[in-house]
Amino acid sequence: MHVGTGPARPAWRGRLTDPAVPMLVLSCGAVAAAWYGPLLTWAVLGGLAGYSLSGSV
Amino acid sequence: MLGVFSTGLLLGALLSATVLWLASGLAAPLPADWRAGATAALGLLAVARDGGVLRLRLPQNARQVPQDVLQRHLARGALQFGFEMGTGVRTYVSASLPYALALGVLLANDAGVALLAGVGFALGRAATPVLRFASGTGEEWDDRLLTRLTLLKPGAATVATAAWAVLALRG
Repeated sequence: MHVGTGPARPAWRGRLTDPAVPMLVLSCGAVAAAWYGPLLTWAVLGGLAGYSLSGSV
Repeated sequence: MLGVFSTGLLLGALLSATVLWLASGLAAPLPADWRAGATAALGLLAVARDGGVLRLRLPQNARQVPQDVLQRHLARGALQFGFEMGTGVRTYVSASLPYALALGVLLANDAGVALLAGVGFALGRAATPVLRFASGTGEEWDDRLLTRLTLLKPGAATVATAAWAVLALRG
């Protein structure tokens, strides 16, 4: 007997929404922005600081 | 509701950024290169603290935002919940980088820096519920987050320190 558990979640969705993804994107962004200009760097570092509080409510 | 919550985050972060910018005039007499170097040094302290090398108690509002704000009125509650979290001073601060960022904004004494750091902070804070929702597996996502937090916090502080060091060296 097959017990329905709903449609399977595609693997790419799990990888794309992994909690490490924003960290990787922001880290690459911070390195690139640091060579480009200070204001953009501060925006990206603000994002890193905000995301580092994940799990804290 | 995520949109309302994120709007609250943005408003709260902008309030904190404004307060920091207004207070940042106190740092204006210090030389700019000294302030940039001090910001990178603060980043190093954040790395050491989040890496468990340095034990340092920092001020925080050690309580959660009351859940009943969402029960009274959903939209207004989501806005208030987001606002309180966006300020960064109404609940636990579980990482050291936000402290370094706040002090860095104080030292920068620049309205643009305060504004963009605040907007970035709000968007970074909003990324967590957005990603959790997009994953479609709330509790499983929470478990994955827990396993990554030990690296995420010192990792974020390390990247920020490197970026601040580059900014300091570039002048």
